[in-house]
Formats: sequence, structure tokens, C-alpha cells
Amino acid sequence: MATRTIRVDYLARVEGEGALDLHISDGHLVKAALSIFEPPRFFEALLRGRNYTETPDIVARICGICPIAYQMSAVHAIEDAFGVTVGGQLRALRRLIYCGEWIESHALHVVMLHAPDFLGYPDAIAMAGDHSDAVRNGLALKKTGNELLRLLGGREIHPVNVRPGGFYRVPQRSELAQITENLKAARDQAIGLVRWVATFPFPDFERDYEFVALRHTDEYPFNEGRIVSNRDIDIDIADYESEFEERHVAHSTALHSLLKRRGAYLVGPLARYALNFDRLPATVRALAAEAGLAAICKNPFRSIIVRALEIVFACEEALRLIADYEPPKEASVPIEPRAAFGFGCTEAPRGICWHRYGFAADGTIQTARIVPPTSQNQPSIEADLEAVAAPMVSKADDVIRSRCEQSIRNYDPCISCSTHFLKLTVHRT
Amino acid sequence: MTEAAARRVLVAGLGNPDRGDDGIGPLVIKKLAGLLPADVAVAPANADVLTLMLEWADFDAVICVDAAAPLTTAGRIHRFNLATDDLPRDRPPASSHAVSLADAIKLSRVLRQAPRDIIVFAVEGASFAAGSAMGPDVAGAAADVVGRVVAEVIRLRQNFNDLAADT
Repeated sequence: MATRTIRVDYLARVEGEGALDLHISDGHLVKAALSIFEPPRFFEALLRGRNYTETPDIVARICGICPIAYQMSAVHAIEDAFGVTVGGQLRALRRLIYCGEWIESHALHVVMLHAPDFLGYPDAIAMAGDHSDAVRNGLALKKTGNELLRLLGGREIHPVNVRPGGFYRVPQRSELAQITENLKAARDQAIGLVRWVATFPFPDFERDYEFVALRHTDEYPFNEGRIVSNRDIDIDIADYESEFEERHVAHSTALHSLLKRRGAYLVGPLARYALNFDRLPATVRALAAEAGLAAICKNPFRSIIVRALEIVFACEEALRLIADYEPPKEASVPIEPRAAFGFGCTEAPRGICWHRYGFAADGTIQTARIVPPTSQNQPSIEADLEAVAAPMVSKADDVIRSRCEQSIRNYDPCISCSTHFLKLTVHRT
Repeated sequence: MTEAAARRVLVAGLGNPDRGDDGIGPLVIKKLAGLLPADVAVAPANADVLTLMLEWADFDAVICVDAAAPLTTAGRIHRFNLATDDLPRDRPPASSHAVSLADAIKLSRVLRQAPRDIIVFAVEGASFAAGSAMGPDVAGAAADVVGRVVAEVIRLRQNFNDLAADT
């Protein structure tokens, strides 16, 4: 019995620390395990005993690229617990800051992290020599997204202006007007990005995913909606734990989220798109058709096109919100704490980010539970890897490795968020 | 060498002040307040390097101050003139979400957006633990770095011939 082992000590362009083990026996793939060994970060324990007002600034530290997702899920959960509704322009500003996060996060992933896989470059620096305009546009998009975060959040990394009930400070119309021209340019750059990535060579690969995303009555979802799937799930966010559970697995320090009844599911751009296609503006739907996408896409490699489409959407939505903006009289609505539980669920760039908090009467956090999108996608990543690698076992290890890395990056996984890099080992017996 | 010929110079201090010796860049920027000519730009301390890279295309010269991994002695100052030297790129990045200074410079050169002159002052650190204070050796080097940055700004604005690289 021959044994071959392939080891990749460092998988670039994936956030966090982990490893992939492929077990191949007698020419058949037996198991694919995404092993996450990054130490747990204990944010939920860290939150206990802190006042609810501190939550947005603490949870923002979970992720440097999607802090708004954590802040938004947290403030919605707090407001849910304390019976507060934030509407009008404050709600619009929350959508606007989320647009900034989607633009900068998606642009970084699409151009700098994922595109090199499709074009055969080791990294974006090598790719930039032949695709300089695309890289320049990607960087310009990221900069515009960061500008929105800085304007509304006070700074682009770990913003500090979000608070329960709204913001500490709201912008004047003139401040938002200053970014309008950049957003118009960003929309054009994003349209160009969609057309560029649509030309990439895509593996002929589909899986029958259970897509899970928020669905709102009339919006492409950022902050609000019911949790729905393409099968039979349609629940209030407070009922998340009735359908979903997290399990410890021996090979990962991150919990695996699963559907209690059916196992793996998929969150993120492909799921949002499939479940909310009709909520996209006609311009974005037309661009999707031009890029060769139907209303549902089951090829995870084409998620790069969906991300680019979501950048276009975020630019259009940001421009719409700015055009309609009137500064609210107050930067936040008053909040009175009470003993209660609250739930929040918003659409991070990588998928739904679910929070639950229990508060004492004075607003002290007694319990906290945070389910990030990468935890939810881990079982689906492993299922993808098994399906991708199984027909390739006779190929050279380098070929398998390259395709598996690309498959993992389809998810734009943030392992640091879910635990809180990646070694690839192929075991052949 | 006249004032009219002054070149556009950007000074950037990179690093996280909440991670011990990594805060040397922001500390030097703080200490430079009032010491630089009014037309010298200073990048925000918490700037994303990719964003910074797009902005430095508008300048003739950039001076970066950053912490470096331990090599010999904490607080030792290394000066790199990237017209003649390369920054080491042999370490994997700590995050895919944040680009290293060496990669940002390399990328800006590929995109032909790099200023003609790039000088990097790298200060060897010892501890980068989250929440830790800056060590005395690195903190003690800040005044020396400030003086060298001021001298470098004067040289770069007036387009003096390059000084010899030193460490």
C-alpha cells in the first residue's frame, strides 16, 4: 500500500490559521477535513459583565475587514432586547455604512485574493503586471468603500461611531455629497469588474446547496429580514436556534454550524443572490444576465461574479441613500435597558452573522452568542472539497492542491472570525 | 536648490499603537508635530496601506516609519533607500486582509504608481503582544528616528543627491 503526503505549510490569501487534510485510499477520496487550529478568541466570554453600550466597540474587534457586520448584528440585538426601533434616516445610514463594508471587503477579495486563482498567478502582485487596470480599479473600489466607512464610522478599520440606537454623530448632506462622485466612478469600476471576472475560465462544477440568507419584504438584505432557505426554512431571526446548531468537531477549534434536520448549508453571496434575485435593481439583474448568470447560481467558483455584482449593487444603493438623505434631528434614539434577551442577524459580506445576548436590568451582558458566517460555511467548504477533489485523485498533488485552495477561497473564509492559514495535507494510502 | 523646486513629500508612520513595539510608527508621527514644513503631508496613523499606496502616487517621495521583526537588537534603526535596496518579503503576511509595506511597495511599482524616492526607517522591535506597552529600547529610539526623518525630508524636498545607506 503506497502512501503519499502533500504538505502545504502556508495557504496564502485566506484569513486565519487552518489546514486542509485530504485522505485518499486506494484511489478514492475518503475524507476532506478543514482543520482550524487558530486559538479560540473567547469574545463571547469577554462580553459577559460588560455594559451593552460597550458592545459595538468590542465586537468590531472580531474582524478588521467586516467590523460593521458585527456592530450591526449587535446593535440590532440590543435594540430588540430593549424594545427600540431605529427607523428613518438612521436606518438608512446603517444601510449606507454596510454598503461601504461590502464594497471594500468584496473588492479586496475579488481582485487581490481570488482573481489570481482563475488567471494562474501566485498572487495579485504577479497578476498586476498583466492586468494593471483591473488591479487599479479594485484598489480604487476598496478605497471608496473605506471612505464610506471613515465618513460614517469615524475610521476605516474598527469604526467607532456606531452605537445602540444609531450613531454618535451623523453626517451633514455636504459631507455625503463629497463622496458621490467617487461612488459614481466606483459603480463604473464595479461594472467593469463584473465584465472582467465573467471572462474567467470556470470549472464545470455545481452542488445542490441549501442556501440560507436574510430576506426582506422589499430590499436586498443588509440589516433586516427573515431567515429563509431554498427549501422550507422561513423563520424569524429569534428562532435561529430551532433550526440550526453548532457542533464541536475534533479537527477544528471553530464550531461547525449545521441545519439540525439536514446538515451543511451555505451562506454568503451565492445564497443571498439566489434568495433575493428579485430584490436586486433591474440594472444589476441585467448585468448578471450579461455576465451569464441565471437567477440561481450553484457553481461556487462563479461566486466571484456574484461578489462583483454585489459591489455594483452596493454602489447604486449608496448613491440612492445619499440622494435621499436628510440629516436626522438626533444622532440616536434613546434606550432604556431592561432584563431581556435580544437577537440580531445581518448580512456580512460572507453571509449571515447571528447574535444573541441576554441582559440584566441595568444593561449588563449576562450571556452572548455569536455565530459568524465562516462557522456556518465550514461544513459546506468540506463538502465542496470532497466533491471537487474526488474526480481529481489521479492527478498530481500540485493540481489537486491548487484547485482545493481555489475552492476554499470561493467562500472568502475568515477563519479568524470563526475561531476565532492553511496547511494542505494529502494522505494517500 | 530653491524653495520653488521643493518636491512633494509624504511621511507615514505605520503600525498599531496597541501592540507594544509595533507602535513606533505612530509614535514618531506624533513626535514630528510642528517639526515638518507645512507642505509636507503626513498620513493618518491608522491608514490602510493599500489606501496609502494609492495616495502616495501623488508624491515625489515617501518616507515610511515602521516596526521590524527582531533581528539583532531591539531599537536598532535600519534605513532602506528603495532606489537601491529591497525590503525583505520572505515572511508570510500576518493577514490576508492587510498588506505588508514590502508588498504594497512592490505592487505600486508594478502598477507604476510608486514615487521616485521611497525611504523606509524600520525599527527592530521585541514585543508585539496585544495591549502591551512599548519597550524602552524601541521608545528610546523614537527621538533618533524623528531627527533622521526631519533630515531626510529636507534632503528629499530639495532633491539632494542620495545619502549613503546606513544602519
